[in-house]
Amino acid sequence: MRFTRRLCTLAFIAAAALIAPACSQQQTSAPTEVVLVAYDAFTPQEGIFDAFTQETGVKVRIVTAGDTGTMVSKAILTAGNPEGDVMWGIDNTFLSRAENAGVLESYEPVDEGDICVNYDKNWFATRKITPPTTFEDLVKPDYAGLLVTQDPTASSPGLGFLLATIAHFGENDWQNFWEDLVDNGTKIVSDWTTAYTVEFSGSSGKGKYPLVVSYGSSPPAEVVYSATPVTEPPTAVVESTCFRQTEYVGVLRGTPNRDIARKLVDYLLDTPFQESMPLTLFVFPTDPKATLPKVFTDFAVRPDTPLVIEPDDIEKNRDAWLDAWRAIAL
Amino acid sequence: MHGSMHGERLPSDEKPPMNIDAVSRTARRLQVLPVLLLAVFFAAPVASMVIRFVRFDSLVDTLTDSSVRGVWWFTFWQATASTAATLAVGIPLTWAVSRHSFFGSRFVTAVVTVPFFMPAVVIATGVKGILPGQPTLGILWAHVVFNVAVVVRVLGPRWSLMDPTMEDTAADLGARPTRVFTTVVFPYISTALRNATAIVFVFCFTSYGVIAILGGISRRTVESEVFIQAVRLGDMRTAISLSLIQAVVVFLVFLIGTRNGRADTTDETNNRGDGRVRNHDIAVMQRSITRRNRRRVTSAAFIPAAFVATPLVAVVIRSFVVEGAPSLDGYRWLFDGTTERVGVDSFRVVTISLVFAAACTMLTVVAATIIAFARNTTRTVSALTALPLVVSAVTLGLGIIVTFDSSPFDWRGHTWLIPVIHAVVALPLAVRTLDGAVDAIPDSVRMAAASLGAGPWRTWLRIELPLVRPALARAAGLSAAVSIGEFGATSFLSRSNSTTVPIAISQLMGHPGTVLPQAAFALAALCVLMFTLVFAATV
Repeated sequence: MRFTRRLCTLAFIAAAALIAPACSQQQTSAPTEVVLVAYDAFTPQEGIFDAFTQETGVKVRIVTAGDTGTMVSKAILTAGNPEGDVMWGIDNTFLSRAENAGVLESYEPVDEGDICVNYDKNWFATRKITPPTTFEDLVKPDYAGLLVTQDPTASSPGLGFLLATIAHFGENDWQNFWEDLVDNGTKIVSDWTTAYTVEFSGSSGKGKYPLVVSYGSSPPAEVVYSATPVTEPPTAVVESTCFRQTEYVGVLRGTPNRDIARKLVDYLLDTPFQESMPLTLFVFPTDPKATLPKVFTDFAVRPDTPLVIEPDDIEKNRDAWLDAWRAIAL
Repeated sequence: MHGSMHGERLPSDEKPPMNIDAVSRTARRLQVLPVLLLAVFFAAPVASMVIRFVRFDSLVDTLTDSSVRGVWWFTFWQATASTAATLAVGIPLTWAVSRHSFFGSRFVTAVVTVPFFMPAVVIATGVKGILPGQPTLGILWAHVVFNVAVVVRVLGPRWSLMDPTMEDTAADLGARPTRVFTTVVFPYISTALRNATAIVFVFCFTSYGVIAILGGISRRTVESEVFIQAVRLGDMRTAISLSLIQAVVVFLVFLIGTRNGRADTTDETNNRGDGRVRNHDIAVMQRSITRRNRRRVTSAAFIPAAFVATPLVAVVIRSFVVEGAPSLDGYRWLFDGTTERVGVDSFRVVTISLVFAAACTMLTVVAATIIAFARNTTRTVSALTALPLVVSAVTLGLGIIVTFDSSPFDWRGHTWLIPVIHAVVALPLAVRTLDGAVDAIPDSVRMAAASLGAGPWRTWLRIELPLVRPALARAAGLSAAVSIGEFGATSFLSRSNSTTVPIAISQLMGHPGTVLPQAAFALAALCVLMFTLVFAATV
């Protein structure tokens, strides 16, 4: 029909007019709101920003969308014309990518934690087997078919564990280790939720695998979110496998509200907010003055010498490492 | 084509002018609105991603990359097998519930519709609990569970309009049931069946959540590859190229699958020629079951329904079991403020989902009604509405951010975008649900009304609209379900205090400890129960 065709043309012209860049207006008056862009799991303590609003007269609006990877991808697409003023939670595995794309004006570490192998204490105790203590243990026949981990191409703890093995064994040997790990019956699933809440025997899913790749702060979370009050977590951490994950907070490049954004960053780095993080986000504060809750000092693990790889090295080698990993694991 | 066809509708692209009345003319003009909706909120974002990232060599690289070949093969293979399985389960079920009225038929329809809005993680967890260590079977099962609703909703309205005397006559003349089906029933429902098949195929082809959870790491679809390339590896060129190729391939499959769309809808059978039209003759041609066919009808309804419901039942049971003992704690944690500590305010989440669903449904139903009553003779508009089915959520979601990024169109993070995007995603289904029903209104009805002096608008309001009311209700139910269940595109939109149910469920699942995953199961189970009731009461 001619008419239909005509109205389609019309519609597409209208659409094209929308794509065409319209001139953006610079905000001149003082802002009443500052927008904090964060990943989905950013769930700060309720009312924690009231003090900030009282002090500055500016409200904090939190905008979330997806996991860290999604957030960074979106930030790269909108670099220079950001969705908000401050970004929470780019980690060391994504930092260089964001930096290269000019996402942030400035950034500082805001929290840290570790990705470590966790184990089901009860499983090992009832079988009178000593839990593994090193990477090397994981490929021994005693521990065959016990570990579940995540696909590093799709999951951030999965990537952390792969990077941990690379940091530990070095560029030449990590692939041999992974061949042995796969031969030893390691199960690889697509995401943390499947690994921890379905396949792992020590948590809600009561799965079959007593070893799982998770976080150094998972044991205190097991205590806080236990069905019945417990004094001890059912899980513990294999400390030598921990890979340090640092998250950053920064001012987004192109924000019209730079001053208030800067103030919000300072607020997030200040002791009151830092002390609220362990029990809401299950991460360690970077502020050395912040005191930790008891459940954290008792059960969370933060090794003094964790495995680390510089963000630059991660960004440079990630594709090659993942390709090599896929060749071994698939 | 079908040489035996006669009657008012001709099997060609041209219809006699008498079919186009004032209503259709107005509807055709109004079609600019749904087309504009699609152009602004779908075509523009996708186009801007393609313009930004796709180059000739990126397409060539993507096509020649050998590691992607296995992904294509698995995607095609699982989509074909899943579609076949869905039809095998869905057709008998549709026959039972659309051709017969019996106790429990509404309940059955409701039960099979529920999975449609469930987040993949819930169904996949249910399936996984029952079929551990069977990834391929698990994927097929989950796809059947998700998509049987499409068969029932798209095929059902058409099938329910078929006059049972047609089958009876054929049977009286000595045709065996299989022959009755192939020569009488199949031609009548073939368009709707093809539509349903094409939609199911597209859904299975572009499936992401089910594959990610059940498929493990070695079974990947094009859709999951797009996600990984774009979000995890940051390679937008490969991601968007792959997504474009997928869209073209799937769209072609879809167009071929639904090729003779309008042309082979033949309605002479409903035209009695006596000018007397009784509402129940046209609206729904159901019969109550007789003693003779009771067993057949009930087994055709309840066996597939059980097949679909099992993972749901598993989820409901799981929501009442805490650490191996029966308990209501999951529900308590959902509403006593526990989940608010991780940002999930259950009342708010449910309310927001319902508000979005209402907005999406209104938008979708109005748009679909306009398109259906325009009685288009070409397939341009219909094909346009199918586009959102074939483009990956990643591409649409990211496209929206780069498109609406400057004033006065800086809509990023605006809450109203969510129901609008839901409407874009739901429109293809709603259009296909309504189209068939509007097509099935015999022209004699309108002619009879006209000869009695009713104007076209009066005829539309008093006769045609009531006739398609069941289809309108189905389209509305489907749109609401799409809105409540949509995860892909929603998860890419920036949200501020507007968490929807599926996103809340997946957020709660993603925590250590017993409490939060248990609350997630309680929320999922509440949805199962609530929506079974709502669907059973309304649709």
